[in-house]
Amino acid sequence: MLSAAILAELRDAVGADGLIIERNQLQTYECDALAVLRSLPGAVILPRTTAQLQKAVRICARHQIPFVGRGAGTGLSGGAMPDDRGIVISFARMTKILATDIPNQRITVEAGVINAHVTQRVAPTGYFYAPDPSSQTVCTIGGNVAENSGGAHCLKYGFTTTHVLALEVVLPTGELVHLGSPTLDPPGYDLAGVFVGSEGTLGVAGSMTLRIVRRPETVEVLLAAFDSISAAGQSVSDIIAASILPAAMEIMDRLSIQAAEAAVHPHYPECEALLLVELDGPSAEVDLQMQQVRKICKANGAWEDRLAQSEQERMLVWKGRKAAFAAAGRLSPDYIVQDGVIPRTKLPMVLEKISEMAAEAGLRVSNVFHAGDGNLHPLVLFDASIPGQEEMAVELSTRILHLCVDQGGSITGEHGVGRDKQQAMGYMFSEPDLDTMQRVRCSFDPDNIANPDKVFPRPRLCGEKTGKYTPHPLETAGVAEYF
Amino acid sequence: MNAPLTITASLAAITGPEHLRTLGVATAVAPGNTDEVAAILRFAQENHFAVVPWGGGTKQRWGYPVAPAMILETHRLSAIREHTWQDMTCAVEAGCTWAALQSALAQHGQYVALDPLWPERATVGGIVATNDSGALRLRYGSLRDLIIGMTIVLADGTIAHTGGKVVKNVAGYDLHKLMTGAFGTLGVITSVNFRLHSIPKSTQSFTFSAPASKPLGAWMLKLLHQQFSTLSIQLRGTAEGFHLDIQLASLPEVLRTQAGLLESLGRVEGLAVEAATASVWDARQQLLDRDLVCKATMLPSEIASFADRVRSLGGESVTQATGIMTAAFPAVAGGQLPQLRRELEAASGSLMILKQPAESKLDSWGTLPDSLPLMREIKRRFDPEGVLNPSRFLGRI
Repeated sequence: MLSAAILAELRDAVGADGLIIERNQLQTYECDALAVLRSLPGAVILPRTTAQLQKAVRICARHQIPFVGRGAGTGLSGGAMPDDRGIVISFARMTKILATDIPNQRITVEAGVINAHVTQRVAPTGYFYAPDPSSQTVCTIGGNVAENSGGAHCLKYGFTTTHVLALEVVLPTGELVHLGSPTLDPPGYDLAGVFVGSEGTLGVAGSMTLRIVRRPETVEVLLAAFDSISAAGQSVSDIIAASILPAAMEIMDRLSIQAAEAAVHPHYPECEALLLVELDGPSAEVDLQMQQVRKICKANGAWEDRLAQSEQERMLVWKGRKAAFAAAGRLSPDYIVQDGVIPRTKLPMVLEKISEMAAEAGLRVSNVFHAGDGNLHPLVLFDASIPGQEEMAVELSTRILHLCVDQGGSITGEHGVGRDKQQAMGYMFSEPDLDTMQRVRCSFDPDNIANPDKVFPRPRLCGEKTGKYTPHPLETAGVAEYF
Repeated sequence: MNAPLTITASLAAITGPEHLRTLGVATAVAPGNTDEVAAILRFAQENHFAVVPWGGGTKQRWGYPVAPAMILETHRLSAIREHTWQDMTCAVEAGCTWAALQSALAQHGQYVALDPLWPERATVGGIVATNDSGALRLRYGSLRDLIIGMTIVLADGTIAHTGGKVVKNVAGYDLHKLMTGAFGTLGVITSVNFRLHSIPKSTQSFTFSAPASKPLGAWMLKLLHQQFSTLSIQLRGTAEGFHLDIQLASLPEVLRTQAGLLESLGRVEGLAVEAATASVWDARQQLLDRDLVCKATMLPSEIASFADRVRSLGGESVTQATGIMTAAFPAVAGGQLPQLRRELEAASGSLMILKQPAESKLDSWGTLPDSLPLMREIKRRFDPEGVLNPSRFLGRI
């Protein structure tokens, strides 16, 4: 519980209309899109400016109150789940686009600006903002920065980190600092590079300068239908081997095609595996490369290959793909979205193993993946009303992640670690690796108040030595917990 | 007690005496694996000996000078460990020269899409530590976009892995970004994982020339807005005039059309055009042979005016379209550089002195950012005794 005195300080910092303490209103903020993890915050604040944001963080620093930033709450790893002793900082009122600089291909926005609004702002001049997470019509740039969000098109254009040049950040100590620069290679450590993707554990950004990208002359999307995932996967490898770098390459299996079809009717062909290939660039180049891609798909047994005929049709194709997670609700009452990464060439082997493991567990797994960069999104379907099935689904989902790591991959390609995958971090990284990351964390946040107890396998306190485990005094006193 | 003798004996116990040599007052040691690097650093930290990690030694004059007790040479760590060409990734040890790495990758038509200085001598570790990049950056980004994982050894001997072998990965902090450009002040890089690109099969380069920089600068911005398959663009400012070098890369059929269009657009602008000679892409490296050389950063829209400014000081420059300039000046212009630095910083840019005559006392790094205390804190937690390249970096970190 936050004391009346602290609430008064917060009210003073952000105004009476910027402070939420009513229980029923707080419930809106108790989880992000990973709704199984919930915790009611002590208060929610909605600053309007970076100055207000800084005042609020200073209060947190002074009283050692944990805080977590929140954009639209679309995160899939529990990263925005609050601490029950802490506050949520909502960016819902920091939604201004501060400056656009078309000749230099840059735009400066507040953290609460919605991803798609950045593109909307610069589209008339022929530009777009490249990172395109599936939630882009609602998710915010601040949240994208925290998670280093990707999307289907990062195969060619890179992740959020590629597109963030500068950040205005309030550190957990309450200081305001500028990380990165509108120009490249500012002298000093690449702190902007470290901050992006740190999942809110190093501070909160009030505004940021982003790169925008020239809209390509031509965009073409091919839908190719295959009888097996491995044939679709082989086509992906062959396209890459032919020196073609598509804007996106996605594979959906039969279950996810059915789900997407039921949800948004994208008119996908009915098949075991659907490969979507988007090429963009100068028209002449795209035309020639698309001929090559179609040849490759045919050679691998594609029995239907058609190009989306219009911008509208292309949008529909992507709408179907981006709806794939939500659409899984039509296949099963409950499901777990996974986010593993494997080296592209391990795709056939890993998919076979996943289907074996699913059969063993008696569960269905539908697969959607960013095939170009080996980012798998297996959806483990289950019914929580059947006793024991949820536990089996969690177990299967964990085994899939371990499989990805064993094959030289990662536990998360774009959804982040958050609260969801803390334990898996310990599977992927050794103690010295985590200890080194912890040194960074402690440099930014010595008191461990910025989104504490996320990312790392267990809360560690700054100054704590690794090696043989001994409980920290704060842990013994019940202030921190061992997981 | 004779310190150098103690150093020699202790280091010999780690690597064997055949991998030690004396360089002036310093002892150079060449570890053969990451564990030996860790043992060497632990020894250095315990005894407060300053260590300079050393690859090809091509950029050791960059930053503030360091007087080390020990030089950690990486030439024995030169293996290309993996080239999984189907996945377009590789893993290479830090002491491998850039040219050796690239020639191995080229067997499968791939490369790390970066064109750093002195590829024959410069090593992977040194290039990463100084965050060097060249004209290819326009299309492929810099090292922070190309590195997917790293092994580092901290001052206390901690061996840490960061990132991994896959291009897409958001697990944990991007420590490799922190190490890139840190000038070896936070740890010793022992191996790096890169994402690779296909080497373009057909390219064509042009040079457009004009007596003044302004029309070339304006045209460069227009080109960046147009739909060419551009690989690299640079503006060269010489005593004779200004040149815009443009390299296109695409399929041969497409290249022909684009080349024709580009030439005719240039003529419309009143620019002289010719096929670029291969040497234009070495122009940046040639400037580094001079005595007073800087790296300046600026917004692309400011390139033409700063190129002009450099020439007004009697200097020459090569500026990538991304806004990174290499400029060489006559020694007499040294006194003007603090003013040039102020102008660049006022335009959101920076000026770093890479090389200056011994008698010149220009500050290497420039105005300190508001994040400096945070940088110092990171240094303190990574290298509490300050043994790794002490005082070389910004703010004498």
